[in-house]
Amino acid sequence: MATQQDEGGVPFAIVHDLQHLRLLELPPDLVELLDAPKPPRLSIKSLPASAASGTPTTKPAYAVLCTPSASFQLRQVQTSNNLFVTRPTLEAHGNAIPVPTTCAIASCSATLELQPSDGSALAFLGDVLPLYDIVDGEVDVAGNGKSKASIFPDIPLSDGQCEHAWQGMMAFEFAGSSWRPSPNTLSQVWKSINAAALAEGVKLDSQFLTDDVANAVAEEGYPVTLAVAILQHLAGDGQDEDGPWSCLDRTKTVSFVGRYLLEARPGRSDYLTAEFLDTWKDCLPEAWRKDAELKAIAGVYHLPTSTTIGLKASSTMATKNESSSSKSAASSRKWHEKFGRARQR
Amino acid sequence: MPSIPLHTRASPQSVSENPLPSLLHTPSGLALVELQGTIHFPPPAVSATSSTTIVGKLVFPLYNPDLADPSDTKWMKRVYFYIGENQRMTGECKRLGSPIAVIRKRDVGDGDTSGDVDMESGQGKEAGEELEIVEIVRYKVVFSLRPEPVSDIAAVDKDEG
Repeated sequence: MATQQDEGGVPFAIVHDLQHLRLLELPPDLVELLDAPKPPRLSIKSLPASAASGTPTTKPAYAVLCTPSASFQLRQVQTSNNLFVTRPTLEAHGNAIPVPTTCAIASCSATLELQPSDGSALAFLGDVLPLYDIVDGEVDVAGNGKSKASIFPDIPLSDGQCEHAWQGMMAFEFAGSSWRPSPNTLSQVWKSINAAALAEGVKLDSQFLTDDVANAVAEEGYPVTLAVAILQHLAGDGQDEDGPWSCLDRTKTVSFVGRYLLEARPGRSDYLTAEFLDTWKDCLPEAWRKDAELKAIAGVYHLPTSTTIGLKASSTMATKNESSSSKSAASSRKWHEKFGRARQR
Repeated sequence: MPSIPLHTRASPQSVSENPLPSLLHTPSGLALVELQGTIHFPPPAVSATSSTTIVGKLVFPLYNPDLADPSDTKWMKRVYFYIGENQRMTGECKRLGSPIAVIRKRDVGDGDTSGDVDMESGQGKEAGEELEIVEIVRYKVVFSLRPEPVSDIAAVDKDEG
């Protein structure tokens, strides 16, 4: 390895036409990912201008670096120093013999920092997905005309985080739009699933063909994609989601049915606990009836009197939506404060 | 579309011989030099054939390339940056706490090769904009002190050597 020490140093040159490069500080997790033999696909996402302009006084500046499963908020940090990016070149100034030179090709006065962002995509999805609420056999809300694939890029979280929330809320694509089901809808579709399973002789906690049940549900006028979303949501862990088979997790399913039965009756304070338990049992496969106990939905219900049951205020769908949207607004506000602080530094 | 791919790619091997100490080498040859202040140099003559201006030189007085002991990092403690004829900055080589990725706009073949990167706003993106990580750099040369005047670079070199 030769250096120019003998001749008194390494010549340092600056190109006249500096390039625009950005410097990104990498947290350890990301370095590890990038050093791997096959680095994952990365992308930079941002909120679309329209969605982010909820508060007109603040100009949203929101960019996120996403790996397949994690996301990091980008923050620009001004430095008082100049950071040159240099490149080795051969320089021949005048008629001298070309000498190896280090040449600055870009000058940066700011770096980008990454902060892990483990926020939930639930709030974002809640904002963009219309509620699919079947009342008297009809849904009275216009669709958003967006596919799942066109929604995820607008959410400032990784696809993995989006998918997790999507499945968690049993969102589905139907009739050219994406939706989230209301508790009432979930309850109705579940009853249809349960009836279909009974009619087809399907045991839901052993392997069955997803399509057998989903198609029977579709015949009753429910979106087949919603039936599939529910079946996937209730599937046991480690099931191949894209495979043709389903097998429901019994504990998860019993709790799901109880919870949404309760949620589907908002504002009712006179729901008799005994009546609720009976309905719950009736909505389950015969063999699962004895599982319908209040402890299966611990934390979801409260008992206003000794004979009635109600939904805990904090867990109702309506308040969840409100709090989630206000939460997203609050978090974006906080983000701007942070951004402002960073600027002042 | 507000989602922009950020490509990672195998760094191209540098074609030019890298005159810096080997610790500062990266596959693409890119390195980071940080300094407090700005380097001013006369604007290039219109007739200039070169697209660069040599503004000074870097000297690693304690570095001996023949002693190829990678664990010997004492040489990192001192680097001189001579600027013009009469100024010198003293600095050092530092390992970065967090490695830094150098990012540039990828040429998507639409003829726009300006290389501008705009990530603060996340808005006003042209369709088809793509970014790539050109290199991950783990060391930098920092000059955090103010330049000091020197009268004769050749004489200083002799003293240090």
